[in-house]
Amino acid sequence: MKNKRKWLAAPYGVWALGFIIIPLLMIVYYAFTSQEDGRFTLSNFSSVFTATTMKALGLALGLAILGTLICLLLAYPLAMILAGAHVGSSAFIVLIFVLPMWMNFLLRTFAWQTLLENNGVINSVLRLLGLPAAHLINTPAAIVFGMVYNFLPFMILPIYNVLIKIDRDVIEAARDLGAGLWTTFRKITLPLSVSGIISGITMVFVPSLTTFVISDLLGGGKILLIGNLIEQEFKQLNDWNVGSAMSMVLMIFIVLSMMVSARYDREGEGAVF
Amino acid sequence: MKNKLIDLVGITKSFDDVTVLDDLNLYIRENEFLTLLGPSGCGKTTTLRIIGGFEQPDSGKVLFDGADITALPPNRRQLNTVFQRYALFPHMTIEENIAFGLKIKKKSQAYIRDKIRSALRLVNLEGYEDRLPSALSGGQQQRVAIARAIVNEPKVLLLDEPLGALDLKLRQDMQYELMRLKNELGITFVYVTHDQEEALTMSDTIVVMNQGYIQQIGTPEDIYNEPQNAFVADFIGDSNILDGIMIEDRLVEILGTKFVCVDTGFGQNRPVDVVLRPEDLELVPPEKGIVRGRVTNLIFKGVHYEMEVMVNGTALIVHGTRMAAVGDEVGICVDPFNIQIMNKPESEDEEAVTVEE
Amino acid sequence: MKALKRVYMALILILLYAPIATLIVLSFNSSRSRAKWGGFTLKWYRTLFQNEEIMNAFYTTLMIALIAALLATLIGTLAAIGIHSMRQRTRTIFMGVTNIPMLNSEIVMGVSLMLLFIIGRIELGFGTILIAHITFNIPYVILSVMPKLRQTDRSIYEAALDLGATPFYAFRKTILTDIMPGIVSGFFLAFTMSLDDFVVTYFTKGPGVDTLSTKIYSEVRKGIKPEIYSLSTLLFLMIFVLLVAVNMASMKESKKELQKNAAHLAKHGRKRIFTRRFVFGRVLPGILCAALVVGWFSSRTGETLAAQNQVIVYNWGEYIDPDVIDIFEEETGIRVIYEEFETNEIMYPKIKSGAVAYDCVCPSDYMIQKMIDNDLLAELNWDNIPNIKNIGDMYMKTSEQFDPGNRYSVPYCWGTIGILYNKKMVSEPVDSWQILWDSRYKDSILMQDSVRDAFAVALKYLGYSANSTNIRELTEAQQLLMTQKPLVQAYVVDQVRDKMIGNEAALGVIYSGEAIYTQQENPDLEYVVPKEGSNVWIDSWVVPKNAKHKENAEKFINFLCRPDIALKNFEYITYSTPNVAAQQMIEDPAVRNSPIAFPDESVLERCETYSYLGSDVEEIYNRLWNEVKSR
Repeated sequence: MKNKRKWLAAPYGVWALGFIIIPLLMIVYYAFTSQEDGRFTLSNFSSVFTATTMKALGLALGLAILGTLICLLLAYPLAMILAGAHVGSSAFIVLIFVLPMWMNFLLRTFAWQTLLENNGVINSVLRLLGLPAAHLINTPAAIVFGMVYNFLPFMILPIYNVLIKIDRDVIEAARDLGAGLWTTFRKITLPLSVSGIISGITMVFVPSLTTFVISDLLGGGKILLIGNLIEQEFKQLNDWNVGSAMSMVLMIFIVLSMMVSARYDREGEGAVF
Repeated sequence: MKNKLIDLVGITKSFDDVTVLDDLNLYIRENEFLTLLGPSGCGKTTTLRIIGGFEQPDSGKVLFDGADITALPPNRRQLNTVFQRYALFPHMTIEENIAFGLKIKKKSQAYIRDKIRSALRLVNLEGYEDRLPSALSGGQQQRVAIARAIVNEPKVLLLDEPLGALDLKLRQDMQYELMRLKNELGITFVYVTHDQEEALTMSDTIVVMNQGYIQQIGTPEDIYNEPQNAFVADFIGDSNILDGIMIEDRLVEILGTKFVCVDTGFGQNRPVDVVLRPEDLELVPPEKGIVRGRVTNLIFKGVHYEMEVMVNGTALIVHGTRMAAVGDEVGICVDPFNIQIMNKPESEDEEAVTVEE
Repeated sequence: MKALKRVYMALILILLYAPIATLIVLSFNSSRSRAKWGGFTLKWYRTLFQNEEIMNAFYTTLMIALIAALLATLIGTLAAIGIHSMRQRTRTIFMGVTNIPMLNSEIVMGVSLMLLFIIGRIELGFGTILIAHITFNIPYVILSVMPKLRQTDRSIYEAALDLGATPFYAFRKTILTDIMPGIVSGFFLAFTMSLDDFVVTYFTKGPGVDTLSTKIYSEVRKGIKPEIYSLSTLLFLMIFVLLVAVNMASMKESKKELQKNAAHLAKHGRKRIFTRRFVFGRVLPGILCAALVVGWFSSRTGETLAAQNQVIVYNWGEYIDPDVIDIFEEETGIRVIYEEFETNEIMYPKIKSGAVAYDCVCPSDYMIQKMIDNDLLAELNWDNIPNIKNIGDMYMKTSEQFDPGNRYSVPYCWGTIGILYNKKMVSEPVDSWQILWDSRYKDSILMQDSVRDAFAVALKYLGYSANSTNIRELTEAQQLLMTQKPLVQAYVVDQVRDKMIGNEAALGVIYSGEAIYTQQENPDLEYVVPKEGSNVWIDSWVVPKNAKHKENAEKFINFLCRPDIALKNFEYITYSTPNVAAQQMIEDPAVRNSPIAFPDESVLERCETYSYLGSDVEEIYNRLWNEVKSR
């Protein structure tokens, strides 16, 4: 019985091979062949390791790290509040944070233009309060803002999910043994929520690192990230080989973060949903 | 006379409009093994959590050595708790778990090491220092939890159904272990359980609770032999609780027959509850009994037989070492000292409810 | 403390919902420009349902999300059960593979699938989007079902077998019931993910197929149609009401369960809960699905019938009056499949790769030359385009610069590139490109995000030709553009329009055609062609060599050259028309003689058209421009 049942995964196995593994190998193939004659070459990588591309990669890394950090700092207290609030069903929490997804992601990000512009809503409010207007749109700060806005739920949910699983008794035991609020947080709550934090970080970091839409919409075309360069190679310059080489370099960082998350999240308890 | 170590004065607590404790008054003496006993939902755990500082009473005060500690957070109270589900820190080794409280108090390395060693010896877990809690059995985890609490040398140890998750044999072993610890350490134990046998075995004082009210406080013997109401009688041990009428002092009518008893002061012709413990009922030949009945059921229980005897339409449980066959007619005798008379409950609140466990 | 928590939570929720509120407000804005509040209106909710493009994109989005989620749920659930009964080693491998789409970036996944489809010669379209969506959906289903499977009690299944159930029946009644919540939440997750996806769709989609996301992305560059706002608002509110209702029901349910003492009440309640569950669990989704399927088919039936008789048009965004297409379809019975591009550089690789056989494309002058050089265009049969007589001779003559002998192209629109400035913000007279390097206007300058236009500005300012191939001149221009970058607020294409209307910037480089529209919306704006000269451009219709419906394409081009149609188009897109007959028909003399729409010859003498510079020089331009942008 049990033996037979494993064959139910066969359709998925075929699908995964065809549409997950082979396409990835495709990228590797293109990255190492030349556009002209299809022979093996490393020249694609020489166009990756140029000042322009490296700068875009470095900027993407920097902004993604900053965005992820801000997400973490914003999300952790919120997850703690939510976990402590005894809201009847966690489904409700998920609902609040998944609901915005039903408004198109591009539109939501685009709407921030209207909010962040020099004559936008936020600056109008600032002016009304007699405060100096802030130049927000088309700056790296706006891109970080967009990352935080778009990916915050992916940080909140995994942390929330591990926090609600922490036994209240354990917290009370620490208090009982003389730990104050801060010590309890530092020695008990924080170490026990590491898996959620790590999975939150990967969930936020990877899309932030690779985005081209957010930088496109909120960066005014002035700030190119590695995602923008890859998009250009495939969609405008039509150089799939260099584009593949860039994707491969990008994948190194993705694989790194996957390895980190796999290390800390063996039981899959930091799952988002 | 030992002094009052903890004094609960007029404690009231409710959750979402449900009153869990209503004007509860209770004191705990130094070095006492006090057990809060009652069915689930009776308020015993809430009482313990209020002593521990995990819940704030809506009104009333908690005094510790005469000082008001009602608003003091748990980490600043001189007592420690052993939790029902152990509540070991899953990310720390046994050693780190036990050292937790001592490190917070900034004790020296050497002191902590000595303490851990002696605590582990005390709970028979030497050599387990570097394991994680998940690698231990339930009983072992419970002993770690106890060790973790006692290394801090609290004045009071609070135990919230600590043996509830263990199987029978282990539970009995742990009962002895706890009593031994209490004697060796000389600290006050406040113990919460719904298991009457556990309470009777270990306690100096038992507090029987139901629906937020204290039903009776006394030594195990008092509670067993002299239950003050039908709830206590029913909750502690097996008993036959019968409707009766107190004809006059020292004479009560039950089962359609007048019985001589020793109780006085109930007035004349008053309806009362009468408790007859199964082991206090004696089976005799029909002609020698105060009442007669017929055996309708029989179970062998090892040390004794448990028999159901139908007397004038009422079923009585009788324990005896002599067997009577089903269908036999028997007589029943009872010593007047073993007839326990209780007032009928006056209000709904006091009414004994069916015990859930 | 409690108040502090509330405030914090409120702030985060404001952050999450502020843009949504903004979009809802915009859906009631009677001005087409998002930069201006033109008063409250409900008209976008009415016009929404007449906007076939948006409704089609909407149905496509829903169909893809629904089908992809259903198939992914099926494959994923089976896979989860299979994986669950595997041995440790194989299970680890499978779960590892499952994690790839979850953790891999969307862009890498998108391009990898795009490569696969193109190499496998699978035509990009509805099917490829569906495959891609199923691929990234399956892991969500598996990861929702797996935990439930782990929780199932095997002994219950065995108990069912013991009681005489067949394995399948026992499975259905025990394990399947247990994992049902996981399957359902997996389905909804997959559905939501699919609905919200842009990146993967963007790389795997083909012509004529647009989901809301890709539609919005192309519109973001050229100004979003207000109907998009109204559609999103409707969608969001619908889901909001539905989810809140379901949630309320389940909350009441759990409260009811607490009332265990009043048995009769509970009985009553359960009955009501059951009906509620029935309504929300089955009836509503059922209705939703049915409506979807019916709607989709009703919107598609016409298309399948006319599938053979069609013309695939690839045009600039916002570059035709939608009514014109309707009239053409009505008059000829030829179905128009319409797709848009933002720049010549985006359009070109699509034609070159041949992945899509477009019938009719509207590139600019230099690009036409490049396409002719690369043998990508078909010669036009002038017998099929008699209306060519309406096009002014001078335009046909200018066309010869890139299309010698007028063999391939029919002029459609033309114009100049110049500076649009806000008279309130710029007090001095503007007559030179030099003002774009004036540091007083830091962060108030909008540049065109296209290689040739950006370089033309710099080259002309330096006094060189806009078609320079001299590397020294180009580097000089690049340096100039780099020094300009700190002053530039943004590099945009059609957004110059909205930003200038909204007083977001003082100066913007813009096409003359856009200038007329912006002046209508904001009278403070003025357009000028700088004295150093500029580019004059012509966008013309061409037919690619691999076109499958060449005759239909020629019919379409001929139709566009009809004076009444050309006029209608001019009024809609406000770009100068080379159609002399149409120009004559313009009623408003101010427009008919507008110096912006129809400048005098002295202006045109300063300007030159772009010519194709060859792929090597083009690459230099691209590289130099990329360096400017990413520096």
